[in-house]
Amino acid sequence: MSFSATGLVLTSLLYLLLLFGVAWITEQGLLPRHWVRHPLVYILSLGVYAGIWAVYAAVGMAADSGYGFLAYYLGISGAFLLAPVLLNPVMRICRAYQLTSLADLFAYRYRSQWAGTLVTLCAGGALLALLSMQIQAVALSASILAPDSSPKAMSVLFCLIVLLFAILFGARRNQNSENHQGLVLAIAFDSVVKVSALLALGLVVLFQVFGGMDGLDQWLALNKPDAGSLTLTLDDGSWRALMLMSFAAALVLPHMYHMTFSENPSPKALAKASWGLPLYLLLLALPVPVILWGGQALEVDTDPNFFVLGIALALDSPALALFMYVAGLSAASGLMIVSTLALAGMVLNHVVLPLKTPRDQGDIYRWLQWVKRLLIAVIIFCALLFHEAVGQHLDLAILGAISLSGMLQLLPGALGVIYWPEGNRRGLIAGLIAGLAVWLVALVLPFSHTINPLAWLDLPLVPNYDNWHIFTFISLTVNVAVFGLFSILSASSAEETSAAQACSLGALSRPQRRELLASSSDDFIKQLAEPLGYGVARREVERALAQLKLPNVEYRPYQLRRLRDQIEANLSGLLGPSVARDMVKRHLGFKPLARGATGQDIRYVERALGDYQNRLTGLARELDNLRRHYRQTLQNLPIPACSVGEDGEILMWNQAMATLTGITADDVVGARLAALPEPWHQLLEDFNRGEDQHRYKHRLDLRGKPHWFNLHKAALSGPDHPEGGNIILVEDQTETRLLEDELMHSERLASVGRLAAGVAHEIGNPVTGISSLAQNLKLETDDPAILDTADQIQQQTRRISTILQSLMNFARTGNHAQANRYEPVSIRRCVQESINLLSLSDKGTRVHYLNQVPDDLQVLGDEQRLVQVFVNLLTNARDASPDGGHIRVSGNLDSYSAIIEVIDEGSGIPEDQLDHIFEPFYTTKAPDKGTGLGLSLVYSIVEEHYGNIQVESPADPESGAGTCVRLRLPAYQPESGDTAAAMNERS
Amino acid sequence: MYIYRLVFLLVLAIYIFSPNILDWWTAPGNAWYSPYIIWAGLIAIAFWLEWRRDPNEF
Repeated sequence: MSFSATGLVLTSLLYLLLLFGVAWITEQGLLPRHWVRHPLVYILSLGVYAGIWAVYAAVGMAADSGYGFLAYYLGISGAFLLAPVLLNPVMRICRAYQLTSLADLFAYRYRSQWAGTLVTLCAGGALLALLSMQIQAVALSASILAPDSSPKAMSVLFCLIVLLFAILFGARRNQNSENHQGLVLAIAFDSVVKVSALLALGLVVLFQVFGGMDGLDQWLALNKPDAGSLTLTLDDGSWRALMLMSFAAALVLPHMYHMTFSENPSPKALAKASWGLPLYLLLLALPVPVILWGGQALEVDTDPNFFVLGIALALDSPALALFMYVAGLSAASGLMIVSTLALAGMVLNHVVLPLKTPRDQGDIYRWLQWVKRLLIAVIIFCALLFHEAVGQHLDLAILGAISLSGMLQLLPGALGVIYWPEGNRRGLIAGLIAGLAVWLVALVLPFSHTINPLAWLDLPLVPNYDNWHIFTFISLTVNVAVFGLFSILSASSAEETSAAQACSLGALSRPQRRELLASSSDDFIKQLAEPLGYGVARREVERALAQLKLPNVEYRPYQLRRLRDQIEANLSGLLGPSVARDMVKRHLGFKPLARGATGQDIRYVERALGDYQNRLTGLARELDNLRRHYRQTLQNLPIPACSVGEDGEILMWNQAMATLTGITADDVVGARLAALPEPWHQLLEDFNRGEDQHRYKHRLDLRGKPHWFNLHKAALSGPDHPEGGNIILVEDQTETRLLEDELMHSERLASVGRLAAGVAHEIGNPVTGISSLAQNLKLETDDPAILDTADQIQQQTRRISTILQSLMNFARTGNHAQANRYEPVSIRRCVQESINLLSLSDKGTRVHYLNQVPDDLQVLGDEQRLVQVFVNLLTNARDASPDGGHIRVSGNLDSYSAIIEVIDEGSGIPEDQLDHIFEPFYTTKAPDKGTGLGLSLVYSIVEEHYGNIQVESPADPESGAGTCVRLRLPAYQPESGDTAAAMNERS
Repeated sequence: MYIYRLVFLLVLAIYIFSPNILDWWTAPGNAWYSPYIIWAGLIAIAFWLEWRRDPNEF
C-alpha cells in the first residue's frame, strides 16, 4: 500500500489549513476568552516539547536502549514537578521585567549585551540541528508513505508552510495582550492530535495485533530474548545525559521557554502544568513499547524510528497511516513554528537591535514586526540549508543529541540566575565559550562528517555514536568549572550585583532613592521622544502610567522611579533588555549623586515586603511582624509626624498628619516637601532646612482661622542607620494658646478692677467735697442761674458717685476675698423690692413689671446682692423696652435648681454682641446712660452664688424681639438646712 | 535558601541514582507498564500538592 505524492501534499496542506483555521478563529475572538486562557490549553501548548522525537524517534530509541527512551520524558517531567523552586522564580522575573527569551533573561541578569548575543548564537546553532531533525522526519515519513515523492520538494514545501504560519500568527504583536493566543491554541491542537494518534495506534496494536493485554503478555513470554532487551539494555551514561538534557530543556530550549514563560496566562496555569505536562508526556510515552513490540511482531521492514508508519502500512490501514503522518507533521510543524519564532525574537533583540536602533522609523512597532518576519524567513532558510548540507545525512537521534547538548551549555547560566548571585558576566561568557568550544570540537564537527580534530590528535577516546554522552558531560563540566572559577576570581559590577539580587530567590531588590532628571511624566515623553519618536514615546509612557494606575501627569519622585522601571520593562518586552536598559539609562537618567551614596528606597522595599508577607516564614516572618507593629505604632501616633529623606522626599506621613493637613499619605509619600500645598510646604520645608531643632508657637492661618504649632525635629541617622534625613513632629497648640489668651485677658481685667477700686476710693472724697460745696453755694445765693448751676454740679457729682459705687461694687465682687453670709432668700421678695426701687425712678412709669415668681421659691444667698442682680437686669430690660412694654419675671424649680427668667419685649441683643455683654465696660447704651459694669456685676454675683446665667435673644422667635435672661441658682430646700452651713463654710 | 539546598541535594541524589531506580522499576518480574504506574503515582502526588497549596506560597 502506498500513497501518491500529491495526495500527501494535499493532506499536509489540508491539515495545516486546519491549523491556520484554529489560529485564525482564536485571533478573531470567536472562541470564549476563558477557553483560550484555560490552564488545559496552556498545558497542551507545552506539548510542543514533544517534537518529531516523540512521534517517531522514541520508538527507535526504545528499540536501541530499552526503557532509556523514558529519560526524554522523565527529565522534563522532573523539571515541571520542581516548578515551584525552578520555574516559578524564572517566571516571576520574566513577568516583572518582561523578559521574553532566555537571551533576555541572561542579558538582564548578567547585565551584558554580549551574554545575550552569545546565548542567541548558541541557541541558533543548536536549534539548526533540531529544526533539521524535524524537516528530515517529515521528508522521510513522506517518502515512506509515497515512495515517488521527492524529499527535497517535501522539505521545501513544509518549510514554506511553516514560514507562512509563523509570519502570520507569531510575529504579530497585540498591544493589549502580550500573548499570541492563536498560536497557543494551534499548538495545543497539535498536541491533541499527537497524543490521540499515538494512543489510537497503541490501542490498535494492542487489540488487533496482540488481541488484548493477555495476548501481549503471551507474546512477551514467547519472545523473551527480543522483548527483554527493552528492560535490560539501560545504559547509565546515555540515560543520564538524555535525562539531564531533557531536564534542562524546560529552561533552555527557546520554544519551551517561549511557551512556558512568554505565553503563560497566569501563575496558576504554571502550577497546574507542574503535574499536567508530566501527565501529557506519560500518555505520549505509554504506547511506545506496545508500538515497538507491534512492529517486531508484525516484522515491519521500516527503520524502528518509523514503526508508527510501518505498522499502519502493515495493517493495511490508509486512514491510520495518514493519521500517523499527520501526527508527525503536527509535531514537527509545532516545534518549528515556535522555535523559529522564539529564535527570531532573540536575534532581533540581541543581534539586530544592538547594531541598529530604529531611530528614524515612523512606526517602531511596524518596523519591529517586519524585521522579525524577515528573521523568521532567514532562520527557516538557514535550517533548510543546514538540513540539505549536513542534517539529512545524520540519524534522527544524533541530530537531537547534538542540538540538546548544545542547549545544555546554557543550563549553568540559567540556574545561576536563580541560585547563584555570585556568578557574573565574565564567568558566564568564559564558561559558555569554553563549553561551546568543546561541544563544537567533540560533537558537532565529528558527527557532521566534516572534520574530527580529536581523531587527528590520536586521543584514546574518539567520539562515536556510543560515547557521545561522555563528550556532553565533558563540555558541561568545562563550562561549569570555567563559569565558577571566573566568577569567583573576578569582581561583579554594582549594577550586576543589584540585578543578581533582584533575580535570586527570596531576595528583595533594594533600589537606591535617586533623583531623576525628569520632574514629571511629561518630561519622560520629551526625553524618550528622542530615540523613539514622539508618538511611540507618548504611547509607552501612557501605557506604563495606566499599568501602574497613576494619574495622567505624575510628579512624585517615588512614582516617577516606578514609572521608569515600568517603561524599562515594557521596552524590554519590545526591544530586549539591553537596548531598553541603554535607552532608559541614557534618556531617563538620574541626577549626579551629591555624595557617595544615597538612601534606599524605603517605600519600594516596604511595598515589596508587603507583597512578600504570605511567603515569609520563621524568623523572617517574626521580624516582619515586628516591622508591622512599629509601623502601625508610628501610623497611629496621635501626634502628627512625618519623616523626610535627605533629599527632601517624604518617607512617612502618619494618620494624625493626614487629619491635620487634610492630605493623605498616598498623595505625598514619595513626593518632595516642595510638592506639598501651601502653607505646609513653606512651614515644613523651612523647618526641615533650618538649623533649629524646635520651633514654638508658629502661627499658621488655616481656612481663615489662626492655628499655632510647635515643631520638633530629630535626625534619622544613628549608629545603625547611616542614612540622613529628619523626623518632624507637628504639635497643634491652638487650644492651649486660646486658653492662655483667655487667662491673660482675665488677668488684665482683674488689674483694671483693682485699679478702678483704688481710683474710685481716691476720687470719692474730693467728689463729696465738691457736692458739699455746691450745697453751700445754694445757701449763699438767690441768683437763679447760680442755683441752677449748683443743682447741676450736685447732679453730676451724684452721677460720679453712682459710677464710683458701681466700680467699688465690681472690684469688691471681682475678687472673692470678701466673705458672704448665705441665708435662705425668697426670690419673689427680691424681685418685688427691685421693682419697687425702679418704680421710684421717673422712667419706671412707662413699662409694666410682672412678678410671677412663686412665693415658695427660695435660694441660699445674700439678699442685698441678689436685689442688686435683679435691679441691674430689670434696668437693662426697662431701657430696652418700648413705651408700655411688659417685663415679666418668672421662676420655677427644676430638681435642685431655681430657674428665674427675666423676659422683656425690647429690641433684643444682636448675635455678635451676645458673647461680650458680660465683659466689664462693655455697653451698647449711650456714653452717659451706662457704665458697662451692670451685667458684669450680675455675672460675678451669680457666680458667687454657684449659679449660672444665660441670655437668649430674641426671646420670641416669631416676632424676633425681646430678650430672656435665665438665671439658674441652687434652690434652697428647707429639709436640707445643713446645705446652708456647708455653703457658708465653703465661702 | 536552606530549603532550596535540600531540594537541590535531593534532585542530585535522584539524578545520580536514577538508572538504579529505573532498573528497579523495570525488574524482570514486574509488568511492562510498572514504570508508568510509578510515574503516574508521582504525578498524583504533584497534583495533590498543587491542589492543597496555599495560593500565596512561593
